[in-house]
Amino acid sequence: MTDSVVLAFGIGLAFGWALERAGLGSARKLVGQFYLTDFTVFKVMFSAIVTAMLGVFWLGRLGVVDVAAIYVPETYVLPQLAGGALFGVGFVVAGLCPGTSCVAAATGRGDGLATVIGLLGGVLAAGAAFPAMAAFYESSARGTWQWPQALGLPYGVVVFLVVLMALGGFRLVERLERRAS
Amino acid sequence: MTSRWLAWAALLIGGLSAVAGSPYLAARGQVDVEALAATAARGEDRVGAVELATWIHDREPGLRVIDVRSREAYDADRIPGAEHVPLGAIGRTRFTHDQPIVVYADDGTEAAEAWVLLRAAGLRRVFFLRGGLAAWLDEVLEPTLAADADAEARAAFARVAGLSRYFGGRPRGGASAGTDAGTGGPSGADTADRLAHLKRRGC
Amino acid sequence: MSHRGLAAPPRGGAPRPYADPYVAGVGLGLVLTAAFALAGRGLGASGAFAAGATALVHAVSPDQAAASPYLSRYLDAAVAPWRDWLVVEIAGAIAGGWLSARLAGRLALVVERGPRLAPGPRLAFAGLGGAAMGVGAVLARGCTSGQALTGGALLSVGSWLFITGAFASAYLVAPLARRLWR
Repeated sequence: MTDSVVLAFGIGLAFGWALERAGLGSARKLVGQFYLTDFTVFKVMFSAIVTAMLGVFWLGRLGVVDVAAIYVPETYVLPQLAGGALFGVGFVVAGLCPGTSCVAAATGRGDGLATVIGLLGGVLAAGAAFPAMAAFYESSARGTWQWPQALGLPYGVVVFLVVLMALGGFRLVERLERRAS
Repeated sequence: MTSRWLAWAALLIGGLSAVAGSPYLAARGQVDVEALAATAARGEDRVGAVELATWIHDREPGLRVIDVRSREAYDADRIPGAEHVPLGAIGRTRFTHDQPIVVYADDGTEAAEAWVLLRAAGLRRVFFLRGGLAAWLDEVLEPTLAADADAEARAAFARVAGLSRYFGGRPRGGASAGTDAGTGGPSGADTADRLAHLKRRGC
Repeated sequence: MSHRGLAAPPRGGAPRPYADPYVAGVGLGLVLTAAFALAGRGLGASGAFAAGATALVHAVSPDQAAASPYLSRYLDAAVAPWRDWLVVEIAGAIAGGWLSARLAGRLALVVERGPRLAPGPRLAFAGLGGAAMGVGAVLARGCTSGQALTGGALLSVGSWLFITGAFASAYLVAPLARRLWR
């Protein structure tokens, strides 16, 4: 596994490309999700999650990649729930998230640029307020905590359950989309 | 429609995953005999008691000290900060691939076995404690300075003595050998006791 | 299917339609898998913003940047951004997004907004929304790229909690934000 920045750029290139292709560089398309008319966000996000989840599982199972060496984000129950909730509010109001705001800005959208500026401001504010938030920020730490561990189920079984959940979700949103059109 | 195909593919691959076993290398492992043999021959598979003591004292980042003996043995006596992972469970324990791991047992056997297993699982910085807990008691808790030691040996002893006291040990020797050695104080008898207890139970 | 409202038409003629979301999602997932396999880590975005914020503070006052308990973590990235994985990755994403739009005829200087909102207020809301996301991402140690996609694919409990929190609150707030979009 390499830390090469050339690799980082290449991966970023593909990342931005995929987001734009999917239409996620458009705020109006993104928020369609929350008005039950256009579930592109849900479809793209969970197709990506399922694909990568299966990819990681099988690359590991076939011994191609040492999956124990992949960095897994640590779990902080309360800050991540709270941070997620706050993030969700911002997401609906702005119509873009950090990654897609960059893509939107790159393709000429002024609202993308405004979101980028707002994000910088938000991070600065959080940085300045950090000492006050520090206790909460560090609270409910669980370290590296993955669903197979938490549920006491084999990794592969959890993988299958997630696939089932995602496919079920896709069925549901297709139905909602048909009803909306 | 493409998405139909994708959905069926996901279902199939997902279903296979449920019965395919573990994605972790550690669960199956692979033994590179050449590499392991070379590491062992170079002596890079083991660490001395004093070196381990230094790591613990200096808070070596990510260090984990693993006791692979039985629960009773662990409860009775152990190296400070050691975690109990019986040999049988060593495959299931989660380690980060680059954290330093030192395994120990009473002297060396189970620890050496654990070393092979952890290396086979792909972990890099694994060592076993040379001489085991017995060496810890002997070299760290009761380091002894020979009466005829030269200046270099005395200097080395002084460093070890400081470390020893940090762990609640009683260094023997220093100004003149024999003053606080021998049957000296409660901890002297203590350590001898612990050592004897270990040796009685054998390999 | 274009939702650009009262925007100027894009250069290069009519825009190509967006890709099938499932196909695009699988493509994105393959990119993520490649990142895991080749670099041992996933995607991210908010970290690059933290680096950017730190760079701004550093430019004004290096001491402040070094003294800040949160921003100081991003000092290396701020001082040498071309060596920071996340910053370079986001630079790539910007390039990739631009390239894709260029080839599909979707480049357009425009402010996307709901039909009842003027550009000015839209930009203000975008900024405010961005600020809320900035704080949320700091607390959650990531955003939709780093936590939802990356942590989600790796089955990290905290990442799934983030997804749940984000979607739940977004759906709850959406009716209140209706005027912005409908």
